[in-house]
Amino acid sequence: MTRGGRATGWDARLSARLLATGCAAVLSLAVAACGDDDGDAGADQQITIGLITKQETNPYWVTMREVAEQTAEEHNVQLLTAAGKSDVDNESQVAALQYMSARDAAGILIAPADSEAVVPAIEEAREEGVTVIAVDTPTEPRSAVDALFATDNRQAGELIGRYARAKAEAQDIQPRVAMLELAPDITSGELRHDGFLEGLGLEEGDPRIVGSVNTEGDRAKGRRGMEQLLEGNPDINIVYAVNEPAAFGAAAALEAAGKDEGDVILVTVDGGCDAIKRGIRPGVMDATAQQYPENMAREGVRALVDAARGGEEPSGYLNTGVELITGNPVEAVESRNTAFGVRNCWG
Amino acid sequence: MATASAVPAVPKRARARLVYPQLTVPFILLVLCFAAWGTAANLTDVMVGVFRSIFDMSNLQAALVQFSYYGAYFLLAIPAAFINRRFGYKVGVLTGLGLAALGGLLFVPASELLVYEFFLLALFVLAAGLSILETSANPFVIAMGPENTATQRLNLAQAFNPVGANIGVLLGAVLILPHITPEASKTIMSPDELRRSQEADLSLVLGPYLGIALVLVIIWLLIFYRKMPTPAEKSQEAGEVKSGTLTRLWRNRHYRYGVGAQFFNVAAQVSVWTFTILYAQDVVGVPPGDSGWYLQASLILFLVARFAMTYLLGIFRPAKLLFLMGALGVVFCLIAMFSQNMVGLIAVVAISLSLSLMFPTIYGVALQGLGEDTKFGAAGLVMAILGGALIPLIHAALMDQVGAAFGFIVPGVCLALVTCYALFDLRTNRDADELVAEVPA
Repeated sequence: MTRGGRATGWDARLSARLLATGCAAVLSLAVAACGDDDGDAGADQQITIGLITKQETNPYWVTMREVAEQTAEEHNVQLLTAAGKSDVDNESQVAALQYMSARDAAGILIAPADSEAVVPAIEEAREEGVTVIAVDTPTEPRSAVDALFATDNRQAGELIGRYARAKAEAQDIQPRVAMLELAPDITSGELRHDGFLEGLGLEEGDPRIVGSVNTEGDRAKGRRGMEQLLEGNPDINIVYAVNEPAAFGAAAALEAAGKDEGDVILVTVDGGCDAIKRGIRPGVMDATAQQYPENMAREGVRALVDAARGGEEPSGYLNTGVELITGNPVEAVESRNTAFGVRNCWG
Repeated sequence: MATASAVPAVPKRARARLVYPQLTVPFILLVLCFAAWGTAANLTDVMVGVFRSIFDMSNLQAALVQFSYYGAYFLLAIPAAFINRRFGYKVGVLTGLGLAALGGLLFVPASELLVYEFFLLALFVLAAGLSILETSANPFVIAMGPENTATQRLNLAQAFNPVGANIGVLLGAVLILPHITPEASKTIMSPDELRRSQEADLSLVLGPYLGIALVLVIIWLLIFYRKMPTPAEKSQEAGEVKSGTLTRLWRNRHYRYGVGAQFFNVAAQVSVWTFTILYAQDVVGVPPGDSGWYLQASLILFLVARFAMTYLLGIFRPAKLLFLMGALGVVFCLIAMFSQNMVGLIAVVAISLSLSLMFPTIYGVALQGLGEDTKFGAAGLVMAILGGALIPLIHAALMDQVGAAFGFIVPGVCLALVTCYALFDLRTNRDADELVAEVPA
C-alpha cells in the first residue's frame, strides 16, 4: 500500500461491505497502519487519522495519498484512507467520514467532492471531537472545517497570466485570448480565471478575450472547445486552459489547425508529470502553475498529529504553494525550470 | 627516508609470498586506505545533487564540489611525490591520512556556518589528503613484498577501492538522499523554517564525513604506532628524469594523444557519475530517495564489466576493444540525450560498461614501447585526472542552459575523442623514433 513497501504493520483494503451503513457501495477504503500495531510506541497512545480524497485513479490524489501514508509512518500514527469513485462522489465521502469517526479518528483530511453537500457530515464529525481539515478544495462555507490547506488558485492563475503578458510583450503581439474554463460555479476554476485575467492585465469582458468554453477539465472537450473558438477566431494567440488535460486538448486542436508551437502562447495550471514531461519540456505548452498535493498531505497529517498530541489546533488557511514552471522563461516573471517541474511533479 | 638496508631480508622459501611477514598488518591497514579513498570519492558524486538541493543553486555551482575534489587531487600529486621521496612512504601515508581526516572534521564548522564555500574548502582538504595518501600508498604496497608478486599485491589492494566506492554511494543513497527535505516542501517555508531545514539536511551530510574522518584517524593511529620497516623504492624516483625523456615522450604521438585520451576518459567518468543522480531526478523524475540506486548500479556494472573486460582483453587487441567500447559509450550518451525517460536513464547507467576498460587500456596503449621512459610517462597519464576537475563544470554549465539530458553531449564528445584515439592507434604504425626508448642506451 505504502510507497516502496514501507508499511510496517498490517495493510489491508477493506471492502465496501465494511462500510456498514451501506450508503456507498462504491467507496474504496484503505487502511494503512503506519505505526506499531501492538501499541509499543513508548508512552504514545496509538493515534488514528484519516484522509478522504475525491477518487483513487487520478495521479493527483494518488500522490496525496502516498505522501500522507509516508508522513503518517514517519510520525508513527495510523492512517485510514478512502476515496470516492469520481470527482463528484459526495455519497462515498459522507460514508467515509462516518466510518472514520466511528473508528475514533482524531482528525480527518478531506478534499470535498461537493463543497456544500458534505458540510452536514463534517459538522457531525466535528461534534464528535474530530478535527477536520479541508485539503485542495474549500467547503462552502469555509468555516465548516477547522482549517483549509490548499493551493491559492487565484495566485496560480495570476502567475500564468503575468507570464503570458510578458511573453506577448516580448514578442510584440496584440493579445487575442481564448479561455478554456472548467465549468460554471466551481470555485477553483473561477479563481484561476480571475487570477489569469488580472495577471494578463485585462478586465472581464475585454474585447481582446475572443471567446470562452467550458471543458470540465477534460481533454476531448478541451480540443472540441478550442476547435470551436478557432473557427471564428483563427488569429487567437494566447490560450488559457484551466487544467492540463484541457491544455493538451487545446494543443491538439492548434496543431490540427496548422499552428506552430511558437504561434500561440498556451498556459495552464496543475503541474502533473505528464504535462511537465510531454507538454512543457518539449514546448507544446509554454508554462504551467505547479501545485503541490504532497504539501497538502504532508502539512495536513503533521497538523492533525500535532493537535492529537496536545499541540495547537489547526485553523485558518495554509497556502500549500504554487510555482511557475516553464522551459522559456521571461525576465519579468520569476519561474522555475522544467527540471524543477519534473522533480516536483505529481503522478 | 627509507634506505636499502631497511628492506627486510627475504628468505628463499618465502619468495612467493604476497607480503613480507612483518608487513602483513601494515599491508592490511593500507588496504583499508584504498577502500577509504574510494568511499570518499564516490560519496562526493552524491554530494553534487545534495548541495544543489540544500543551497538551492545551479548545477554549475554544485559541480564546484568536483572541481574542488579533483583539483586538489591534481595539485597535490607532485607535492605528494616530493614528501615520499624526502621523508618516506610512512610519512607520506600519515600526512595523507591526517590531512584527509582534517578535511572530514572541517565539515563540522562548515555545518555550523551553513556556508557552501566552507564545504568546498573541507572537500579540498579531504581530497588533498587522499591524493597524498594514494600517491604514497601505491608504491608503498609495491614495496611491501617480493618484486615478483608486486602486481598481484597492488591488484589485491586496488580491488578494495571499488568496494569503498560502492560503500560511498551506499552511504549517500541510504543515509542522506532519502531524508533530504523535499523541494516542494521548501516552497512554502518561511526563512526561519528554511534555515532549520538546511541545518537538518547538512547534519545528514555531516554524519558520513565524520564517520570517514573517524576511520581515517583510527588508521592513522594504527599506522603511527606500528613499527614498520619501510622498504626503499627501487624504481625511478619522481624528478629523476633521464635526459631527453620529455622530448621523446612529446614526439611520441601514441603517448601524447594517450594523455589527451586519458584526460577525456577521466572527464567522461566523473561527469557521468556526477550527473547520473541528477539525470534520474531532473529528467525522469525519480524521487531523491531512489535516485542514488542508479549510481550504485553504475558502479556495480563498472566493477563486473571490468572483470569481463580483463578476459576480453586477452582475446582482442586492446585498441580494438577500446574503439568498440568508446563507440558504444557515445551511443549510450545519444540515447540519454534523446530518450528522456527510463530508457535514457538505463543508457546513462550503461555508460559505465564502456568506461570500465578505459583507464587501464589507455594506460597500456599509451605507454607501450616507452621502455625506460615508462615511469615518467605514467605520471603524465595520472595527471590527466585534471579532466575530472574541469569537464564536469562544462557539463554542469550546459545542463543549466539546455537541461540534464542534453548535458550528456559532454561525456559523449569525451568518449568520441577516446574512440578517435583508439582508431588512431589501430590505423597508425608506431614510428621507429617513438620506440627509441626501448633501445638500450
